[in-house]
Amino acid sequence: MNAILVLILAALALIVGYGWYARRIDRNIIQPDPKKATPAKMYMDGVDFIPANRNVLFGYQFKSIAALGPILGPIIAVQWGWLPALLWILLGTFFIGWVQDYSSIIMGVREEGQTFGALSYRFISPRARGILLAFLYVYLLMIMGAFGIQVGFNLLTNPAVPLGVIIVTLAGLLAGQMTYKWKQDIILTTVVTVVVALIGIWLGTLPAVKNIFGAIYGLQVVEGKTISPTLFLQVTRAGFIGSLLVAIFCYLGAVLPIWRWAQPINYVAFWIVLLGVLGGILGLLIGHPGMGDFPAVTSFMAAAGPLWPMLFVTIACGAISGWHSLVGTSGTARQLEKETDALPVGGGAMFLEMIFATIAFLTATVAFGSFKGYQDAGGPAAPAAVFSKGLSAFLNQWGLDRVFGQGFGTAYGAVFLTLMALTIMHLCVRFMRVASAEALGDRFPALRNVHVGSIVALVLTLFLIWIVPFLQIWGVFGAANQLMASLALLLITLWLMSRAKNYQWTFWPFVFMLVTTVGALLWSAYSALFVKLPKATNWQGIVAQVTIGVLALLLVVLAVILVVDGVGAMRRYRMEVAKAASQ
Amino acid sequence: MAEEKEEKGSFWDAFKGVLYGMAGHDMTRFALKTRGSMEHLFILITMGDLLGVPILPPYYSLRLLPYVVPQISTWKRRMLRERDLTDALA
Repeated sequence: MNAILVLILAALALIVGYGWYARRIDRNIIQPDPKKATPAKMYMDGVDFIPANRNVLFGYQFKSIAALGPILGPIIAVQWGWLPALLWILLGTFFIGWVQDYSSIIMGVREEGQTFGALSYRFISPRARGILLAFLYVYLLMIMGAFGIQVGFNLLTNPAVPLGVIIVTLAGLLAGQMTYKWKQDIILTTVVTVVVALIGIWLGTLPAVKNIFGAIYGLQVVEGKTISPTLFLQVTRAGFIGSLLVAIFCYLGAVLPIWRWAQPINYVAFWIVLLGVLGGILGLLIGHPGMGDFPAVTSFMAAAGPLWPMLFVTIACGAISGWHSLVGTSGTARQLEKETDALPVGGGAMFLEMIFATIAFLTATVAFGSFKGYQDAGGPAAPAAVFSKGLSAFLNQWGLDRVFGQGFGTAYGAVFLTLMALTIMHLCVRFMRVASAEALGDRFPALRNVHVGSIVALVLTLFLIWIVPFLQIWGVFGAANQLMASLALLLITLWLMSRAKNYQWTFWPFVFMLVTTVGALLWSAYSALFVKLPKATNWQGIVAQVTIGVLALLLVVLAVILVVDGVGAMRRYRMEVAKAASQ
Repeated sequence: MAEEKEEKGSFWDAFKGVLYGMAGHDMTRFALKTRGSMEHLFILITMGDLLGVPILPPYYSLRLLPYVVPQISTWKRRMLRERDLTDALA
């Protein structure tokens, strides 16, 4: 299969999915009215509720939903072969992904801009809000663990990467200073800081700089392989330093004022990521490589588990993600100028994310020209390394290596991915400290302290990074995310029922997502507690498997409570509708 | 010709809008949130009487009232709105 053919398939899914199916649902069921006042106009407060242009909101929505999930998920999922992964990306978005994103926004708009938590409380049950927060905390913790392993163990351990990341961070601080303190023009600020960042990434690839970081990491060449000495458990010196750098970055992001650290660094990182994506697409179109011997289907059982249900939680954000509904209700729905903007903003951004996930899928399947090439680049256990090398192969198609040297593309890809991960992780820690202070602050007043709350979140993160294998964390992360998606679809179904509208288009996706996710969690718990735990020979393995098993079972229990409450609410709404019809 | 130019202009505007939405809209929202919080604090200090919190003597509150009146409706809306943790996400 050629890369261009894959892109054409994705474009077809977009045209038919958005142009026909989504428009049909929008026109016939939701029936948006452009003249109806939206919460952004009715409750305008100049802060949360403020009408924004459709194009601006589209960009905002896409930036909010497209993070590391749609990149890493497809790269991990091709372990089952390219066909199941591609089908799930395209069909998942077609039947479920856009449905959830769009209807979350329109529900928020029609329900006076209430948040997802408030809507769960109202439509499902009072305890549904608490369950949502529990999902959210586990989800954020798993993001921290999964991204932390990739950044700390697979990206920052490359000696060509740390200097680039440090200089981009400094460029971000400069951007903050120029914007807020020196009141400089935003275009000048952007040009200066992005150029400084690009020079920093290039400097990191110089042999002298690599030797310095190689010495810090204690890198040695043994039998043709570069290795770093093991410090404790299975953590190498390079991995230890990499994970500590992650923790320090996130700590500063969580405790410093947002304008000083998180916001300007995210801004500079955005341009680095955008240039990388555009360069990668250009290389892909010029080279349009094929998949070579990459198998369509490898086997039903792979390293991450059975194809069903594990594939469907492995690719979350590229097909459907619960995170999107949270962003849609809390952010986008409160800024929508007209009801008719909901489809291009919510549905359109999700279909664009499908294209983004397809490009990530191609970095694993066509960039190396073979299945062995994918495995040698890192395989499913090191998707970040696969992506950085794959992106480098695309960038080199138009001659980047001839200008900046052979290693620049890989270093750029690694810095690109590190920044994408870190800019999310520091916001996760920020949110986790707020969540722990809210939930446990009365019992443990120390958690209200900004530093204590952040350190607790980071200690838990380092525990996961150092102890638990990546693929198991990713499985539980995906499941927590998909459970939030199930909750969103249940909520939307109940809302449609309460308004006596057709709800089949959200009900069946809800059933599929719930059954699949609970199946994935039960398999993860079984695999951890009954397959891997008895084979564990040291305490690290025992702690890791017990942690994964307990977290998976906890999520199953929460899902069961949710279903019980949801079924009760469905009965209630059905009776209400029947009663109204009989009167 | 004029229509063509207009179309090109609108495409350019749309592109700029999308780019701004990705790169800068979040920054603007954070800045607005910060300003909003400062304004709330200011109104609480000056007009605390409205909530039964007499921080400033009523004489000065009355002197400041004309300047604060335009903001009172949005202030009340934000203060009285139900909030939970998911509010902090976006």
